[in-house]
Amino acid sequence: MNEEVGAGLAPAHIRADAQAGARPAPTLILGLGNPWRGDDGLGPAVIRWLQARGLPPGVLAVDGGTPGLELVLTLAGDHKGRPYRRALIVDAADLGRAPGEWVRFTPEQARLKKGDVHLSLHAAGLAEALALGEALGTLPKEMVIFGVQPAGVDWSPALSAAAQAAVPIVGQAVLQELEAV
Amino acid sequence: MATVQLEVHHVTRVEGHGNILIDVAGGELKRCDLEIIETPRFFEAMLRGRPFAEASHITSRICGICSVGHATTSLLATEAALGVVPSEQTQRLRQLNFLGEILDSHVLHVYMLVAPDFFGAGSVFPLARSHPEVVLRALRMKKLAGDLCAMLSGRHTHPITMEVGGFTHLPTATELEAMRARLEAARADVDATVELSQSLTLPAFERETEYVALHKPDEYTFIGGTITTTDGFRFPVSDYREVTNEYLSPHSTAKHTRHHRDAYMVGALARFNVNHDQLHPRARAAARALGLKPICINPYMNSIAQVVEIVHCVEEAMALSDVLLKRGIVPEAPPKVEVRAGEGVGACEVPRGTLYHHYRVGDDGRITGANCIIPTGQNLANIEADMRALVPQILNRSQDDIRLGLEMLVRAYDPCISCATHMLKVTFV
Repeated sequence: MNEEVGAGLAPAHIRADAQAGARPAPTLILGLGNPWRGDDGLGPAVIRWLQARGLPPGVLAVDGGTPGLELVLTLAGDHKGRPYRRALIVDAADLGRAPGEWVRFTPEQARLKKGDVHLSLHAAGLAEALALGEALGTLPKEMVIFGVQPAGVDWSPALSAAAQAAVPIVGQAVLQELEAV
Repeated sequence: MATVQLEVHHVTRVEGHGNILIDVAGGELKRCDLEIIETPRFFEAMLRGRPFAEASHITSRICGICSVGHATTSLLATEAALGVVPSEQTQRLRQLNFLGEILDSHVLHVYMLVAPDFFGAGSVFPLARSHPEVVLRALRMKKLAGDLCAMLSGRHTHPITMEVGGFTHLPTATELEAMRARLEAARADVDATVELSQSLTLPAFERETEYVALHKPDEYTFIGGTITTTDGFRFPVSDYREVTNEYLSPHSTAKHTRHHRDAYMVGALARFNVNHDQLHPRARAAARALGLKPICINPYMNSIAQVVEIVHCVEEAMALSDVLLKRGIVPEAPPKVEVRAGEGVGACEVPRGTLYHHYRVGDDGRITGANCIIPTGQNLANIEADMRALVPQILNRSQDDIRLGLEMLVRAYDPCISCATHMLKVTFV
């Protein structure tokens, strides 16, 4: 792996947050979504919850925002190009369940539908990034996705009550997952 | 006599939604349209009534790829309306930011949208499997460009630090030095990009047209200049309507434009044709190596002109960083803006061509009227003129080949029809 890959992908202010208290970074917790699109902000909200609680050493929690295909580089390794042993990803997902309900699954357990009939690189999402990372062979060995059902992803700066209530529950589930190995 | 009916719904690997419709009966071309079916977005109406200081932040949202381009053009229009002159440092920082965005956008287009055609891959995904080093290089270069923009504008997309007259945040010398070093290290990737492009064989289609780009006497300009065409016309940007002459077309939700011919072209190839003398020497060398000579009238070569501009952007960004570092980045208060009624036009060469913003500001500082003319709108009539010339030349080919030739033609223009929003959909197996 080239040293540059993964170097400095996230904006500096996000990196600085994430690096606090994390030296070697074998595990990545990545929250995805846009906090201005209602419950799409679930991923970043769980990251904030985890950062406020504090994380064990060697765990990096990153608000990935809506990075598009460059997510491939985020998952390929930390800012020094070291690959992650595992990645835990939190994202709003249409699971056909009640708002706030969540499901833990691995990429092999689900078919992630790509966003549209054709690839738009404006707004490539997790499904596209995982497909590209898989093709490139740069994904962490172990990956777990925590999909949380949103109530809505319209234009709103706030989480719904159901999503709000789900944040600490999903945060706890992520912490348990960390302890599981 | 040939009869061909071809409908390509939602041309892939372009931004937004467009269809190609071809109808040839008895060898005669009856219909040859690039349908634009994207919903109009009414940004100009959204601007009306907003304070002038919000205009660059609102219009930046027109595009997630050229948000720096829209924001910069917007600031130029507002500054022209209010008589604000930004400092030399501000102009240099804006230029550096702009180079980052051109680089980002061109890498995206050349590698992710165009390259798969030449590797016989339907998209970047099979390409990643067969040529991972090519895709990883593209992602590395995109990240460098994004980080350059983030260093100057506070984040990769939708610049937050740029305001009327100046910047609300400046990079430190240390950040700039580190970026300078990364740019220099990226020369290997740039050289590999030129090498890769040398191996591509582009369709040998040619059609004369008028090429329009901004021009400045002393630089290969991206920000401001005089509207200059290969047919010998020159206009100040305030007279942009002399060139654009927007009109409606029944099959397109985007307006078309024409100057004194039926159509004209903007973008990297137009810039090269108008301003090739001013490219960085390394970019000129790349153009020679790639067989790109002015005036090139093969629209497929737009992607090659983008590669030449990739070389230019990396070299110029280094040179500009050196100037900024030598002079030292000095904190400076933005010039005081005196609110007054006024009108102004801004124009920039964004990745896909010349972009115009035209604002009228009321005496309370609120925008009372706005007009934005986007490069892709200016290219639509030219794409259709190319299709009308190309289809009779390739009618004897298979339907699939005709389709591919036309799709590649549309893609060469790097059209940006809209932005899309997506959400993860999961089906369990």
